[in-house]
Amino acid sequence: MGTLMKSLVFACAALAATLPSAHAAEPSGEAMAATCAGCHGTQGRLGTVEFVPLAGLSEDEFVRAMRDFKSGKRPSTLMSVVANGFTESEIRSMARYFAGVKPSPAQ
Amino acid sequence: MLNRRDFLKAGAGIALAAALPARAAAAAGHIVIIGGGVGGATAAKYLKLYNPALRVTVIETNRTYIRPYGSSEVLTGHVGMNDLNVSYDTLKSKYGVGFVFDTVVGFDPAKKQVRTAGRQTIAYDKLVVSPGISLQYQAIPGYSAAVAETRAPSGWIPGSQTALLTKQLQAMRPGGTFVIVAPPNPYRCPPGPYERAALVTEWMRKHNPSGKVLILDPKDSFVTDATMQLGWHRLYGYNIPNDYLSDMPAGVKNSGKPSPIEWVRAMDGGAPQSLDARTLTVMTKQGAVKADVLNVIPPMKAGKLAFDMGLTDASGFCPVDRRSFESSVHRDVFVIGDASIADAMPKSGFSANNQAKVTARAIVAQMAGRAPGEPVWENTCYALAGSDYGLYVADVFRLKDGKITRLPGERYLPLDASMAKIRLAAAYQQAWLKTFTEDCFA
Ligand SMILES: Cc1cc2nc3c(=O)[nH]c(=O)nc-3n(C[C@H](O)[C@H](O)[C@H](O)COP(=O)(O)OP(=O)(O)OC[C@H]3O[C@@H](n4cnc5c(N)ncnc54)[C@H](O)[C@@H]3O)c2cc1C
Repeated sequence: MGTLMKSLVFACAALAATLPSAHAAEPSGEAMAATCAGCHGTQGRLGTVEFVPLAGLSEDEFVRAMRDFKSGKRPSTLMSVVANGFTESEIRSMARYFAGVKPSPAQ
Repeated sequence: MLNRRDFLKAGAGIALAAALPARAAAAAGHIVIIGGGVGGATAAKYLKLYNPALRVTVIETNRTYIRPYGSSEVLTGHVGMNDLNVSYDTLKSKYGVGFVFDTVVGFDPAKKQVRTAGRQTIAYDKLVVSPGISLQYQAIPGYSAAVAETRAPSGWIPGSQTALLTKQLQAMRPGGTFVIVAPPNPYRCPPGPYERAALVTEWMRKHNPSGKVLILDPKDSFVTDATMQLGWHRLYGYNIPNDYLSDMPAGVKNSGKPSPIEWVRAMDGGAPQSLDARTLTVMTKQGAVKADVLNVIPPMKAGKLAFDMGLTDASGFCPVDRRSFESSVHRDVFVIGDASIADAMPKSGFSANNQAKVTARAIVAQMAGRAPGEPVWENTCYALAGSDYGLYVADVFRLKDGKITRLPGERYLPLDASMAKIRLAAAYQQAWLKTFTEDCFA
């Protein structure tokens, strides 16, 4: 195998290793959303200014934000780390969950 | 003090005493939670969120929780002891969680009952145990609980020792040395001892400019070590050891001048071997180190309750089925938080909170006769190198071959992060203290 080919294969393998496998069982949207709550509020319902409340966010907006965190298009402190921990389809199901939650009155 | 046999007997002995009726809520069941800290409170709240028909009772020794996270800020006067207090009122009024303020002293797994020091017997369908850590004071010759309460506080379970340490720091002689003895792995809050060192150094620049902070460590590394040392270097002129220097951004150079903060690793002879409480001297391989204020963070194990209940293994922590955190020893008993064995997850509040949610989902599923769903956990530990200098470690965890594994990839603040990002991380750290407390307790 040529060196270029080898390094390409290696690069792909490395990429695959950093992504959660798309074939593994997926946690539910609600279960994944619960991991966000420590900063973004229980069920994404939040009244403080530092973090973005996620409850009631449109699916598109949530998906776009997570994609942009992943690619680095949207700068962040640690959201790129978090976004990289979820597959595209997982991000969609989280988005569906948050879109269905009524925002907090303080939002 | 009860030994384990007596402890189990204390549980069995009350078989005929009137047990609180678990029957009323039999359809949904009675979930009892021991420990109203981060893990226990979050479990109680999320059980009620996921299934309001469940009856949920928390048994907790103290009427008010004193939060450990953010408690080093008491030392520097950024917050007072009272600011650490967290009330259980909202869990009671908004979520309908029941509270019994008492200490669990007996356990009968066959009858599924626990007994309290106040002689109450409480029956459960499922039991969640989140007792936190116990500090192994006696692991360092010369150290003891009595020494920690009077001469050389640890302040790793916040309370009287935090207050004492604060008083000692503020009364330290000009030019004195504040020594922190760091703990071996695994321990609660991996960046915590080093964040404390940073905050004390920052405080001294204002209030005791010739004072010094010295960390004696039985380890050679810690999580966030590179970013934390870069922060110390920028803020306090800390000299970065050569083996870390090569990864630092261009332009980072040691002055070689003595710095007000120093980290002595095991490889440099920093491991503590014993201490003399009277003279505040720590013996290390490097020699005797004399402190003016001595903060010893001793080795840790699961909370004493976990030992008494027979939930621990040889490691001193509690083995669990990682999918649900159900104990590998007793069925229908779940151990979460610092006391549990969770592989790649650190012993942090964020972890305890995420474990509580996974356990709450698993319990609700089990009670409904369903298998628990696929779990996922996250951890984010923000830490400060100074009031305006934040950094972090962040991870998403998945279940893989029965173990909790961290997804590979970037997990720290990049070493070349802009000052704007660094200040933002510090602002987020402060905001997190609030939002996190709300997610657990309100
Ligand atoms: C200085 C410091 C800074 C920290 N900073 C952070 C941070 O920035 N981020 C982070 O995520 N984590 C941080 N932590 C760690 C975090 O506080 C702990 O990991 C977390 O509190 C663990 O939760 P737990 O439920 O396991 O135990 P705990 O919160 O300690 O709760 C245990 C509870 O059980 C009760 N209990 C014990 N035995 C009994 C019994 N027999 N009967 C009745 N009740 C009982 C206790 O009274 C206590 O309330 C920090 C810790 C320290 C010390």
